[in-house]
Amino acid sequence: MALLSQTVLLLRKDILLELRRRESLLTMFFFGTLLLFVFHFSFDLPPDRVATMAPALLWLAFLFTGTLGLAQLFQAERENHCLDALLLSPLDRGALFLAKTLFNFILMFLVEIIVIPLFWMLFNLSSWNLLPRLFLVTLLGTVGFCVLGTILSAVTLRARARELLLPLVLFPLMIPVILATIRCMETVMRIGEFGDALPWLRLLIGFDVIFLTLGVLIFDWVIEA
Amino acid sequence: MQIAVRKLAKAYGFRWALRDLNLELQPGDFVALLGPNGAGKTTFLKLLAGLIEPTQGSILFDGAVLRSSDAVRRRQVGLLVPADHLYDHLTVQENLKFFAALYGKSDASEQVERALAEIDLLERRADFVADLSSGMRCRLSIAKWQMLDPGLLLLDEPYGVLDGPGIDMLEAFLIGHCTRGNIVIMASHHVARALKLCSRAIILHRGHLTFNEPRQDPWPGFDAAFGDFLPHGESWRS
Amino acid sequence: MPGPKKKRRGILGALALIAIAIGLYWGLVVAPPDAYQGEVQRIMYLHLPSILTAYLSYFLVFIGSGMYLWKREKRDDLLAHSAAEIGVLFTALTIAEGSIWGRPTWGVWWTWDARLTLTAILLLIYTGYLMMRSLIEDQSRAAVAGAVLGIIGFLDIPLIHMSVYWWRTLHQPPSILRPDKAPWENIHPSMLTALAISFVGFLLLYFYLLSLRYRLGEMREEIKTRRLERSA
Repeated sequence: MALLSQTVLLLRKDILLELRRRESLLTMFFFGTLLLFVFHFSFDLPPDRVATMAPALLWLAFLFTGTLGLAQLFQAERENHCLDALLLSPLDRGALFLAKTLFNFILMFLVEIIVIPLFWMLFNLSSWNLLPRLFLVTLLGTVGFCVLGTILSAVTLRARARELLLPLVLFPLMIPVILATIRCMETVMRIGEFGDALPWLRLLIGFDVIFLTLGVLIFDWVIEA
Repeated sequence: MQIAVRKLAKAYGFRWALRDLNLELQPGDFVALLGPNGAGKTTFLKLLAGLIEPTQGSILFDGAVLRSSDAVRRRQVGLLVPADHLYDHLTVQENLKFFAALYGKSDASEQVERALAEIDLLERRADFVADLSSGMRCRLSIAKWQMLDPGLLLLDEPYGVLDGPGIDMLEAFLIGHCTRGNIVIMASHHVARALKLCSRAIILHRGHLTFNEPRQDPWPGFDAAFGDFLPHGESWRS
Repeated sequence: MPGPKKKRRGILGALALIAIAIGLYWGLVVAPPDAYQGEVQRIMYLHLPSILTAYLSYFLVFIGSGMYLWKREKRDDLLAHSAAEIGVLFTALTIAEGSIWGRPTWGVWWTWDARLTLTAILLLIYTGYLMMRSLIEDQSRAAVAGAVLGIIGFLDIPLIHMSVYWWRTLHQPPSILRPDKAPWENIHPSMLTALAISFVGFLLLYFYLLSLRYRLGEMREEIKTRRLERSA
């Protein structure tokens, strides 16, 4: 199917460019780790408070890290007017949306894969067998972030003060994801499974599905040369 | 492919860039798009390419408007901007392969090789585009569009960065392209060369189409129309 | 152009003023004070209509945004932009009123009660909308950006609603309005009347302000068109 093959084509191009330019992944990784350390030593959490506060801090670190990625998302297309070249071509705009969303998702995933175990160690949390569930929640939240983030990143391409505007506009819209991920994480850390946080998980999945669909349908009208 | 431009107009904020443009083009036409700076040439090319929307009027390709979702028609339109539309950190070869795949040409390795050979960039195929001079980049763009073979090829000032051999390559390509029944519209300040190649010349001035004639030899009408836009004391016959 | 439209707006404004005046009189004088909260409860006659009109506003932003993306008619974008501005105004008003009510009732100017939180988030979203539009130079790009945000924002509202309410109800006892009884069972009939009149008044006020703002936008467009014609 053309949409899928075009998405893969664009994604491979972006990954190749990232491997060569190295402007996003490393900065995001270091920033995420830095935030984690800063939170750790500035919030002197007694052990009984850790389970309640730590998920919020973790997710906050990811939000800011992700915002860095979003600001860079269309950078390759801004040089040499390559966005014009893409829009000129028979490219399905939905493929551009999916490719960029996936790309940011991959970057955040790579950061999360390192930072979550780091976080676990730093906050002296027990039972490593909870990590997979924690990871699942983080990934679902990351999808929501990347989907909305890509749409807004595209729409604010020519805005002034873009690095400030993007988080300003994105974060309030992300509240359902933020609350759902924190609540799920907290429950998992407390009782080892999702339990009564299942409605939150469903909310998270619903959010992802709704805005992913919207993104694919609407991107044609969103992106302009 | 037939192109009809009807009452085309484009405004940016408080200023008209193009006003009341009417034009009909047939397969095989080579149009020299001339005019002073700020006349609206680039705007016109972008409208034809479908990159911007007209404020008024329409452009019809075989009777239909070019939509962003119309992949078939989009494949038929190309825009050559000398140093742009190439990824700096992909190699020469990777750029061509990428665009070939984007335009639906799967497995284009042979075509890429051939295209690179024709513009004499074969030994630089593994170099990053960022390391090429602007003249080389322009050649790469020529190779790209040679490979993609659009029914309508638009060019925005290609002569600026090309050297002698480069110019020969460009002109051979453009003439061949038209002979195969495609349409070329080239905006340029190199009037003499453009007029030698074209089958029709149009002049834009302050957004209006002030001259539109098929090529003749001699061409008193053109001399009269273009006289005001030349540097002091010069003739366009170089 | 001045004439019938201006007159209609004038009448709308006058009606709004009258309705609000009557509503205020009813709410402040005729209706009895609340059995539990006392006099401070009377701010509900302003507070509830404010928030309801704010929601109406965001719905209009959604409609205008959707229509604009579909048909690209400037008047739909103007509707969305105007509704967003007036909506922000009424949301800010709601928060101020809620705060005024909260001080004597709970002892604090602000708390992260579900309703207040929700209202604050709405304010953030639509203020962000206005800021984004002002930071994008090209008017048609700003309109597209606004339309996208208008649609996303509105679709997000039920999700935000759910998440904020779930978040809060797991931590605190249910809020002041007794959820086990239907709201109108608690309310004295004249209080209901006051509320109804107030609501009508606010609705009229809202549409009056909206029409003013819309007219402003139309005039700006007209100036632009005329300057354009002159430079041809």
